[in-house]
Amino acid sequence: MSSDTPLDRRPVKLLIVDDSNIVRRRIERSQQFDDLQVVGTAANGFEALELARRTDPDLVTMDLTMPQMDGIECITRLVKLKPGLRILVISALADKATAVEAMERGANGFLNKPFSDRQLNEAIAELMY
Amino acid sequence: MLREEELKTFVEGTTRYFEVAAQQPATIGSPYLLEGETAMHDYTGMINVSGKREGVVYFTAPRAMLTVLLMKMQESDFSHESMRDLVGEVANTISGNARRDFGHDFVISVPSVFAGEKPQIPQSPGARAFVIPIHWRSHSAKLVVSLT
Amino acid sequence: MQSSGADRVRRLLTAAAGALLAALMALVLIVGFRLATRIRANVALLQRASLLETYPSALSQQLTALRERLGTLEYTGGVHQELADSVAGFDRNLAALERRPGVDRPVLRAAGRLWKAYTPVLAPVLAYSGEPYSDTDFGSSLSVSGKIYYTQVRRAELFAQSSAPALHRRLAALSAALQQRTSSAASRLRLLLSVGVLAVLLLGAAAAYLQLARSRGERAARAAEEQTRDILHTVREGLFLLDADYRIGTVWSQALTHLFGREDFAGLSFEELLRDKVSPATLVTATKYIKLLWGERAHENLMKSINPLGQLEVVLDNGRGGKETHYLQFNFHRVVGPQGVKHVLCTVADITSNVMLARELHEAQESAHSQIDMMVSMLHSDPLQVGGFLDTAAAGLKHVNAILKEPARSHAEFSRKLTGLSRELHSIKGEASALNLMSIAQRVHHLEDMVEELKGKSELTGNDFLPVVLKLDELLAHLRAVREVILRLSTLKDGTPSPEGTLSSPILRLRERASGAEELAATLQGLARKLAEDHGKPFTLSLEGLEAVPAAYLPTVKDCLIQMLRNAAVHGIEPDAVRRAGSKSVTGLVRVQFRRLESGCELVFEDDGAGLSPETLKEAAVRKQLLTAEQAAELDNRSALALIFKPGFSTRAEVSMDAGRGTGMDVVAKAVYALGGRIGVSTHPGRFTRFKIALPAPSQTAVA
Repeated sequence: MSSDTPLDRRPVKLLIVDDSNIVRRRIERSQQFDDLQVVGTAANGFEALELARRTDPDLVTMDLTMPQMDGIECITRLVKLKPGLRILVISALADKATAVEAMERGANGFLNKPFSDRQLNEAIAELMY
Repeated sequence: MLREEELKTFVEGTTRYFEVAAQQPATIGSPYLLEGETAMHDYTGMINVSGKREGVVYFTAPRAMLTVLLMKMQESDFSHESMRDLVGEVANTISGNARRDFGHDFVISVPSVFAGEKPQIPQSPGARAFVIPIHWRSHSAKLVVSLT
Repeated sequence: MQSSGADRVRRLLTAAAGALLAALMALVLIVGFRLATRIRANVALLQRASLLETYPSALSQQLTALRERLGTLEYTGGVHQELADSVAGFDRNLAALERRPGVDRPVLRAAGRLWKAYTPVLAPVLAYSGEPYSDTDFGSSLSVSGKIYYTQVRRAELFAQSSAPALHRRLAALSAALQQRTSSAASRLRLLLSVGVLAVLLLGAAAAYLQLARSRGERAARAAEEQTRDILHTVREGLFLLDADYRIGTVWSQALTHLFGREDFAGLSFEELLRDKVSPATLVTATKYIKLLWGERAHENLMKSINPLGQLEVVLDNGRGGKETHYLQFNFHRVVGPQGVKHVLCTVADITSNVMLARELHEAQESAHSQIDMMVSMLHSDPLQVGGFLDTAAAGLKHVNAILKEPARSHAEFSRKLTGLSRELHSIKGEASALNLMSIAQRVHHLEDMVEELKGKSELTGNDFLPVVLKLDELLAHLRAVREVILRLSTLKDGTPSPEGTLSSPILRLRERASGAEELAATLQGLARKLAEDHGKPFTLSLEGLEAVPAAYLPTVKDCLIQMLRNAAVHGIEPDAVRRAGSKSVTGLVRVQFRRLESGCELVFEDDGAGLSPETLKEAAVRKQLLTAEQAAELDNRSALALIFKPGFSTRAEVSMDAGRGTGMDVVAKAVYALGGRIGVSTHPGRFTRFKIALPAPSQTAVA
């Protein structure tokens, strides 16, 4: 079987950033992709940057309202650190200007909290393939 | 002064949270005005609001309700920390969602969480607090909105 | 444009048909010309050949004619000459044929050989030049040479007669061959011409068809263009395309002109379109959003869902030199080509009327908040009775809130509330109407209407009560405002210049009805009730000896007491939980005592609240940078307490309406000093705070 798998089909590495432990676990548990590998979870922007340097993720889910370094600032720095990194913002902030700001800074998708499993998986799929 | 559709934004945000996160919508009880006392349950998640509006929005719930909510969310960690986390996240989601109607200039803080201890609720001059009882399954929580 | 591909093919086909037509015509002309030339040459040869054909018999006849003339002694010169001509003509024509292509050479050679055989017999005949006749008296007869001549002619005649058929046959074959060639060439030419004509006709038809099709296409394109123009002129939305530089293309709908009040948009950037019309923050967000539309990062649905320009407030010139606020709804659609996003199609609709409608509804509700109707009511009501009513109303509304607060989940539970609410509201409304407080009565009436309407609902939920609690809040706010107005009206009684001059008439009325002391008492009691309600701290205000306050001191005494009362309610009286814990009665007590002493007057103000903590005061003073930490440490308790009279001092971190602005006791102290008085404070933590103000006896003139 392994010979059938092309070499470049290595798993997509996911970093989860959210100040809520529950939300982090929820994302980790609810995603249904076989080829997605959670390489780390961070509770704020600083942790996220630190983990991103260490684990070199392909995909990041990013909360915006966080203590210490917020999501917008973190996106800016992550994109500088690794251009081409795919970032899915998962935030309760539901106004358009925030979404535009996040996208402008380099996010690729925007999912509002609260979210269902289906919404989460659709949003991730949008960025994975 | 808070307008009906604005208050509804918060109420709908709360009931929707339960619907989406726990697949079972909450209903609201009879809303009333807070008088003097602060009716707190075991855990309280509070958001300070500044900018276009000033004041606080908080969600306060008994431990039993949060436990069931966590269960419904397939959580197995029912620790004190988990309760604090959840109640803060609910408050954050409700307030964040409100930006859909209030706009970008409705600035919300990260949640402050109180458990047991009496929260320091900053009083805004001229803002009365609306208490909206939130019923979910057999449990009751409260959403308190106090904005100028 | 959809038809452009077909159009190009059609144009190419027309060109190809034209080229083919020209080539064919050239071919037909060249080949035809050559064929015609050949035919003409052949015809000329044929003529010669036909001519040659006549010679053999002609020669025979001429020779016969010559012999007969010789026999009859007739003149022979003419026939001789004719014969010579014929021979020469034959030679000439034969030679001419020999050089020509297309002549059957073997036949020609055979004919030539036969003709050569004539030469030996003809030459002596042609060479004769003597006189054939000799004339004697007997008559004429052939001369000697004539006889020879006759013999030669006779021999030639015989030769010619025998040879002529063979020669003629050869020559006939020659011309027959030529005839054959000519006619075949002619038929080829006919064929060629027929084919050519046919081809020309076909191509002509094709070209005509293509031309027709093209003009039909052009007509269709013109019609499409016209339709596009009509659409752009008629559509009510602004329509335009943005290019990759975020600039407007060359085509836009007429509505855009109306929307933005300018004629030319070509090349205008989106930012320029909105600049000075929206707030800078909005412009930044809009520009960011437009840029994002070109990126591949976000798909259409996401981009649509985060469109920040769904309801954009813009300030536009109204065309009459003024400015007008409009609400525009922008929608964006990406036009994707093979190389990604080619253009972005923008539609702009003016949704001002929708927004204004919603706003008017809101403003209609807001206007109920307006205090003008309340002021009007106040002018028609008795202020002294209003205070009492406000207390009853507050109690009633408290009960209303208590009814709302009762837990309810089922329709039956919600429904039960309605009866109680109606009863309470109805009685409040009745009292308000009796006192002519129409602003209040109307609001209660409105709330009552809401409740009545709910009674008709079959399935009540908490959501139905949201408007009720909001209305209740509004009503309470209105009652607070009324109380505030009452307070202000009564505090103005000393003839202090009124900021609202128009209100002077009710003030004068107040003055007539109440003495200064009574009015001061009413004011303070009103304020006390309001403070107790606002802060959820019930307390009793006891007033003693206010009637003894000299008129000259009244304004100062009033100002000081109001300020101290506020401080007591905010800082002094504790929340009920604390009071309970301290074994105090839940209702607080504030006592005010005014006494005339021999040396002057004394005003004592005391509350049974938390007392003042010297340490807290010191900390606050350091925080406010009124003192350094070292200075604070050295301060004794007495001096620490005196800090509250320092300008800019306040212990409350936040500013509330009643206290905390840092202008509390310092103002009081200043007023007291201004009258030549003194102020002191004593306190016991958890028990009381007491202010003693000593004032000198008022001078005679001031009393008068």
